[in-house]
Amino acid sequence: MIAVALALLALMLVKATPLIYAALGGVLSERSGVVNIGLEGGLVAGAFSSVVVAGATGNPVLGACAGVLAGALLAAILALAATRFGVDQIVAGTGLNFVAIGGAAYGLVVIFHQPGASREVTNLGATGSWTLVVLAFVLAALEWLFLFRTPWGLRVRACGENPRAAETAGVNALATRFWAVVTGGAIAALGGVYLSLGELDLYSDGMTAGRGYIALAAVIFGRWNPIGATGAALFFGFFAALQYTLQRSGVPSELMQALPYLAALVALGGFAGRVRAPAADGVPYVR
Amino acid sequence: MRRGLRDVGLAIAIVIVIGGLAMIVAGANPIDGFGQLLDGALGNPSEIAETLVQTTALLFPALGIAFAFRAGLFNIGAEGQLILGGMAAGIIGVIVPLPAMLAIPLTLAAGAVAGGVWGGIAGFFRARFGANEVIATLMLNVIALLLATYLIGGPFKQAGATASETASLPAAAQLPGIFPDSRLTLAFPIAIALAFFLRWVFRRTVFGYELRAAGDAPEAARRAGVNLARTAFVAMAGSGAIAGLGGATIVMGMLHRFNTGLSPGYGFIGIAVALVGNLDPLGICIASFAFGVLQSGAIAMQAMANVPRDVISIVEGLVIVALAGRRVVAARRNA
Repeated sequence: MIAVALALLALMLVKATPLIYAALGGVLSERSGVVNIGLEGGLVAGAFSSVVVAGATGNPVLGACAGVLAGALLAAILALAATRFGVDQIVAGTGLNFVAIGGAAYGLVVIFHQPGASREVTNLGATGSWTLVVLAFVLAALEWLFLFRTPWGLRVRACGENPRAAETAGVNALATRFWAVVTGGAIAALGGVYLSLGELDLYSDGMTAGRGYIALAAVIFGRWNPIGATGAALFFGFFAALQYTLQRSGVPSELMQALPYLAALVALGGFAGRVRAPAADGVPYVR
Repeated sequence: MRRGLRDVGLAIAIVIVIGGLAMIVAGANPIDGFGQLLDGALGNPSEIAETLVQTTALLFPALGIAFAFRAGLFNIGAEGQLILGGMAAGIIGVIVPLPAMLAIPLTLAAGAVAGGVWGGIAGFFRARFGANEVIATLMLNVIALLLATYLIGGPFKQAGATASETASLPAAAQLPGIFPDSRLTLAFPIAIALAFFLRWVFRRTVFGYELRAAGDAPEAARRAGVNLARTAFVAMAGSGAIAGLGGATIVMGMLHRFNTGLSPGYGFIGIAVALVGNLDPLGICIASFAFGVLQSGAIAMQAMANVPRDVISIVEGLVIVALAGRRVVAARRNA
């Protein structure tokens, strides 16, 4: 019984980790006032690029760094579009998901000469993989400290609530938003790195399986707070783990898979207490 | 109008430059690649017919997305609405035995109702709680796919079949073909007629005016007596119904049964189509054809010119990013 519970707990951590990273990236970005629907694309960029570089160099740590860089670059497109051109962030983020998913599928053919999945590469190993799990929680704490206990975090939040007022007070709202989105993209990409080089040792099409969207739900459920979002990610990870454990019990697995999304709808409808997004979340700011 | 043309030019430039670069990186000659793409899409009458089939499949969700956009709402859930519309058509078409005169309208209606309900849920959340329709429809997309997977894997699975799909539709519930040896059916003229109807609604009716007023200047519309909550609900439900109708035509015209793989992302590509078409139903007809060419030519391009067809997704994504700054889009109500 204890063994089963421990196995479930371990699986929960494994399933929650990519969600935590993606959700932390989403929180940082949205706190600055930019909705990043492209979290899914960030996971894909991280997962794919890390496998490419780990395969080419034989060094998974370099791979992980490349994954983070790719996530930052992808987010930079959104950040640029959102701050420089004031575009609709959600529409642009949707397009970026296309670019990342299509780009990875294209890359599999061009780089690995096979559609569907890459070859197996040297992964981070058990130690590296669990380090990434622990790092997710450390990052959550750090991000909370940053957002709520430092002057820089206050500026980020000010840009998410009222960018004009922030600018009046001397904050460069456009630059703040840019860097929040880029950093958020880098953090989200770590979730992708964990999927491809931590949990597995390859990239395959569709391996992110909508986790970026669950992460968006975790951001809302966690009320735009890093700690809350981490809790929500753990909650969703628990159901993902339970689904494996209950596979033969007769409970339809589709129902279990649908739970995070249903929970997010409930949260959106305000059934789980008052949910309030940052006031200027998703609103383009033009000087 | 000029702005619309500029956007089309931008979209074409992205297709040629980025698509061409991606072909060169993949080791293919771009002239050969685009040549095979066009040849595969338009090279002979049956290929043109298949391109029109893809055009039709894109036209429904794109019109639906434009319908919601008119009211300032972004329906990113067309894919889920399309899937459920297809599922409803697949189930109703099989279990209700009627002559074609009745079976076809009933089965189409089933698809529209299912999609409308799914879009309406997001509209209800928006109208009642002010919930962001984008997040709601994203969640509903996944729930739709899981619901359909569950229903056709269990309760509505074809007896004795190993694959998860519904039984084959009776001939009476299939859309009649309009071109020999192709999948081109009555769905095509229905889609075009719907586009003209929507153009009329947008331009000539009070409802269309209210829809646009609610999207362009919600505060002014509210003061002028437009019920914003009701408009939001109707816009999302109508948007979903149009996408659901599209799902029904795919099942009734192309596949003749429902399985969850019925759409290679028509509901998402429809976003790009709606934007390139400038949210105008006639513009969307033309844009659907252009994207239909990409969809149907991609397979030939991959087979004959050795260009991975995923190039098309990259290009479509960049088109969406490039057009996300349009005024019609920027006026979207943010919540």
